[in-house]
Amino acid sequence: MKANIFGAGLVTLALVGCSAPEEAGHDAQQATQEAAKEMMMSAVGVADGAAVDAETGISLPAGFKATIFADTVGEVRHIVAADNGWLYGALRRSMRGMGVVALRDTDGDGVADQREYFGESIQGSGIGVHNGHLYFSTDTAIMRWPLPESGVPTGEPTIIAEGFVSETQHASKNFTFDDDGNMYVNVGAPSNACMTEMRKKGSPGMRPCPILEKYAGIWRFDADTPNQDQMADGHRYTTGVRNALALDWNPHANALYLAQHGRDQFASFFPDMYTNEQSAELPSEEFHRLDDGYDVGWPYSYYDHLQGERMVMPEYGGDGKTVSTEGEKPLFGFPGHWAPNGMMFLHGNAMPAEYRKGAFIAFHGSWNRAPLPQQGYRVVYLPLDDDGAVAGDWVTFANGFAGPEPVMSPRNAVHRPMGLAEGPDGAIYISSLMSAGRVWKVTYEGN
Amino acid sequence: MKVISLIGAACLCAAFSASVTAQEPQTGKSLYEENCAVCHQYDGGGVPFMQPELFGSKRANDPKGGVIDMILFGSAAEGAGQGEFSNEMPGFDFLTNKEIALIATYVRTNFENNGGAVTADDVQPRRK
Repeated sequence: MKANIFGAGLVTLALVGCSAPEEAGHDAQQATQEAAKEMMMSAVGVADGAAVDAETGISLPAGFKATIFADTVGEVRHIVAADNGWLYGALRRSMRGMGVVALRDTDGDGVADQREYFGESIQGSGIGVHNGHLYFSTDTAIMRWPLPESGVPTGEPTIIAEGFVSETQHASKNFTFDDDGNMYVNVGAPSNACMTEMRKKGSPGMRPCPILEKYAGIWRFDADTPNQDQMADGHRYTTGVRNALALDWNPHANALYLAQHGRDQFASFFPDMYTNEQSAELPSEEFHRLDDGYDVGWPYSYYDHLQGERMVMPEYGGDGKTVSTEGEKPLFGFPGHWAPNGMMFLHGNAMPAEYRKGAFIAFHGSWNRAPLPQQGYRVVYLPLDDDGAVAGDWVTFANGFAGPEPVMSPRNAVHRPMGLAEGPDGAIYISSLMSAGRVWKVTYEGN
Repeated sequence: MKVISLIGAACLCAAFSASVTAQEPQTGKSLYEENCAVCHQYDGGGVPFMQPELFGSKRANDPKGGVIDMILFGSAAEGAGQGEFSNEMPGFDFLTNKEIALIATYVRTNFENNGGAVTADDVQPRRK
């Protein structure tokens, strides 16, 4: 139901944006605890079309400030800001033969003045810190080094999880950790909709979909045990996930969340069922809270936020109108093809209260909305309550990455949000792998 | 003839194409937009890291067999995992020789390419 209500997205967002600050001003003193809580959840965000900062090229909500933390760092994917003061970024393609970049701002001006590269002959997407170690993932393994006091790790990394099949589509093995020593790894499906023939018009879906056995799920591992094999030692925590680069543990609700990339090409494969407009908007980019044994629903079903229902995938007999009983309804459905590539829950209190408990999601932006304009090159914030339920409309936290709108062809997007990280001081970092790679630092400066 | 054969292909594939209702004769541009633009984009710009751009494409300017093979067999024409791009391209061998020739010609004479025209007779011998 929530997804239905909030599906209107931007329209209601504008209303929230206009009313919240006034109410806060008038009623703050007399407000009941309940009302105060309600208002704290009303993040305002930044309006679409707001002017971007001339130096950083992005727009932010009032009170926030950005710096270009580092430029031309390489094709940087996920990032992590460690307690040792260094920010580490996984590189999709190695730079100078190295797969990780390390950055540090020693004089506090918001710009990294130290930069080093390490991780010989590896490249990948996932990076994180847990239990005194720096973790990194290639497309086939997760490994770690002891986190150094400063700078780059030394020595060979220890393999923690391996045995993932080498693929090209949806191959990133991004990961996150809970508070009980577990590591959760995204194993994306090397497929669009489990069609018999790869992305071929008219090819039906396979049932059962054999891809679900070793892919299309979140696998759980012990975070500290070396050399675990995906199938022998890993536990399939969640299935029916097409690909979830946006995966993070919510420390407030103590649960795992993901946002997945929905399937492509409704209109090109099923032009009699989906108009170009429907195909641009659907399927939803689904936002789920996961439990052990959860089934998101790919490939048998997809979520349609316009109808508020899970629908039967057309490769499995659907027609855009038939409701499916397979898979779980998401907490929320974002517009189609926006490509959630990073998700982050904050742990600290440096950001305003209304931004502390929800999900920051970095949308990489679409390529599959043509002939309509491409969309979604932005970082959004979806408010959640203490229990991890959606508590309001999503707002835009950072925008303008792509450059001039509309973006009719993805290659015209100058930057595309990718990874998110929270610094020890509470600052938010945003990475883009486009235009030789950039990292922004965002701080809250107040009024 | 083109319309009839398209219907044939669509039925064989257990899917109906809205485009077969179009009365206008199909051109390289219309076929490209129906079959290729979703990935390679309407402007031929591709998608960084995922699907290659067609501007100045080597295949589009080299001997015509390279483009024909790419359309017929998709990524398999290159060998799996050989490319720099993450998505796999399906084969379009269900299109007629004439349709493939129109698409190949469109790609080889647009997007700043000068590879020249392809005919249906060029396509047939390359089918497997």
